[in-house]
Amino acid sequence: MSELLQLHPRYERPRIPTAEELILRFSDKAITELEELKTHYPDLKSCILPGLWIAQREYGGFLDGGAIAEVAHRLHRSYAEVEGVATFYSMYNTAHKPGKHKIELCTCLSCHVCGAYRIRDYVKQKLGVGHGETTADGLFTIEEVECLDACDRAPVIQVGDTYHGPVDEAYVDRLLDELRNQSESTVVKMADEIVKVHLRGKS
Amino acid sequence: MAERKLLLEHSHLPEYQTLDGYKSKDGYKALGKALKMDRQAVVDEVKASGLRGRGGAGFPTWIKWNGLPKEKKSPHYVVCNADEGEPGTFKDKQLMEQTPFLLVEGMTLAGYATQSEQGYIYIRGEFIDAARALRKAIDQAYSAGLLGKNIMGSGFDFDLDIHLGAGSYECGEESALMSSLMGERGMPRLKFPHAPLPTIAGLWDRPTLINNVETYCCTPFIINNGGEWYASLGASTKNSRGTKIFSVSGHVNKPGNYEIEFGTSLKKLLEMAGGVKGGKLKACVPGGSSVPIITADDVDRAILGYEEMSEVKSMVGSGGCMFLNEHTCIVTFIWRTAMFYANESCGKCTPCREGTRWMLQILDRIRVGNGQPGDVELLKEICSQIDGRSFCGLGDAAAWPVAAALRVFPEEFEYYIANGKSMVTTEPMLAMAP
Ligand SMILES: Cc1cc2nc3c(=O)[nH]c(=O)nc-3n(C[C@H](O)[C@H](O)[C@H](O)COP(=O)(O)O)c2cc1C
Ligand code: SF4
Ligand code: FES
Repeated sequence: MSELLQLHPRYERPRIPTAEELILRFSDKAITELEELKTHYPDLKSCILPGLWIAQREYGGFLDGGAIAEVAHRLHRSYAEVEGVATFYSMYNTAHKPGKHKIELCTCLSCHVCGAYRIRDYVKQKLGVGHGETTADGLFTIEEVECLDACDRAPVIQVGDTYHGPVDEAYVDRLLDELRNQSESTVVKMADEIVKVHLRGKS
Repeated sequence: MAERKLLLEHSHLPEYQTLDGYKSKDGYKALGKALKMDRQAVVDEVKASGLRGRGGAGFPTWIKWNGLPKEKKSPHYVVCNADEGEPGTFKDKQLMEQTPFLLVEGMTLAGYATQSEQGYIYIRGEFIDAARALRKAIDQAYSAGLLGKNIMGSGFDFDLDIHLGAGSYECGEESALMSSLMGERGMPRLKFPHAPLPTIAGLWDRPTLINNVETYCCTPFIINNGGEWYASLGASTKNSRGTKIFSVSGHVNKPGNYEIEFGTSLKKLLEMAGGVKGGKLKACVPGGSSVPIITADDVDRAILGYEEMSEVKSMVGSGGCMFLNEHTCIVTFIWRTAMFYANESCGKCTPCREGTRWMLQILDRIRVGNGQPGDVELLKEICSQIDGRSFCGLGDAAAWPVAAALRVFPEEFEYYIANGKSMVTTEPMLAMAP
């Protein structure tokens, strides 16, 4: 059976936090943001998704059990409920801490017919890791993703809030070099950008 | 008929993304006009236009707009489905990035017509550029009194917020989208006739209007120029009115979004996109990954229209048009399609959850050269067990492409199973690397 058919560690459950790990870590900025979000909906529950985005930023790009517990606590929901939501959506990083940069390789239809698997193999071989894995230096995680809806630029790669395409091997070389020299984590930056677009009058 | 730009006419102008630039191109004329009209008259214009939903199903838009209670007893909501996830489609993304005010104005119009006080734009999580463009547009509209309290001095109040998804194709399905907006896993909800329509009980069980990005973007033109004028576009077709944006990708020389009048031929669309690249045309998936694949011969005679496309046994769908050249292995292509649906099945109902995975397993064993006699029949059987038996449209959408490929290109499957390799290319993982 192809490796793509095997259940992936990405689907593992987050580890339930111990009592010592239950520390509220949201910054003042995060608390203010969450307070504004609460005014957007008639029901607190709707803040779970944006709340998880805030947590993903506050916890360095990774929603561990503690992060999930904090969102649950701040929104008066149960841990199990928030965990259920967090693990449903592929853009929340649960269970495993991703690298500083997540290289999302689209291998879906249009990209596939424009050579996306060749690019995927190239990136895999260059970084020495496979789907869902992180390089030993903690810099890169590779993920094969479904259509990013930029098929006119196939094959497409997304890193953080930026789309790249059409990409070829030389482009990948340049991109990885650029990312190596970048101090900011694109995973965290992406979560921050997503939180920002929710907030009224801040653009 | 060639390109007919309505929504995309000014999309290339950066100033169109600012309120002043948008206003200089007739922006907000429609809202000004509508706010002086009776609410029902606005709905009637939409009815006269013949506008149908651009999200995939082609449902008449006015019926939804007319469906919210006229006598308001509770809050009403307007939702925009901007979760564009259908492989091959990228029109909503361009509309949000380049014509954000069209969407904001269109939703405000809808809010007025349906007596809603709050709108939500549910944007796919990956679309950060689109969300940023909309954020700017919404903030500018608030500052200019075009959102918020007492819009244009009319006494009408309307708030608009952005809500981002977090990676799930299923959240494009409207009831799953509402689940997600209410802070749940993105699973669909029970539908009519087993439950009330969303126009009666949608978000938080309140009357809710939900339309696609492109659908809302059409409405300012309809109010400005009149429904009848809009209906004169695409008049050569049976029941498809106005313009439609097709996202063209795959093996073409100039991939991109092309806006055409309904009634244009598919061949013409291919021409606009610069023709086929890397060889002769072999097949086309005309309306996003969910719709049945068609042959090159069908491309020659297909007319783009909701009814017209059924003559080649396919659909307009969401308008994600993928052209494939002669070097494409259909088996591998369909294997990848099946993988998409297996990955995105939400797991709520058995036919889809088990069926998509089972189909993928069979296609995968064919792909790696272990296909067995009877696999084609088995696939057909599974397709028929999923189609029409699933809880939401994703199941059907997973079965159609496989069933169609087996019908249209049976020889490729037979050959692959008998010989353990593709009829088309020696490298099964790469349909083509141009
Ligand atoms: C699995 C599935 C995915 C869908 N994805 C989308 C989508 O990404 N965008 C969209 O507008 N409609 C999508 N739809 C269609 C919506 O359910 C709904 O018909 C549409 O939002 C209605 O808007 P319209 O009438 O303006 O087309 C999807 C449907 C299904 C079954
Ligand atoms: S068909 Fe069933 S399992 Fe598939 S996405 Fe819809 S509800 Fe979920
Ligand atoms: S298939 Fe890769 S962006 Fe659509």
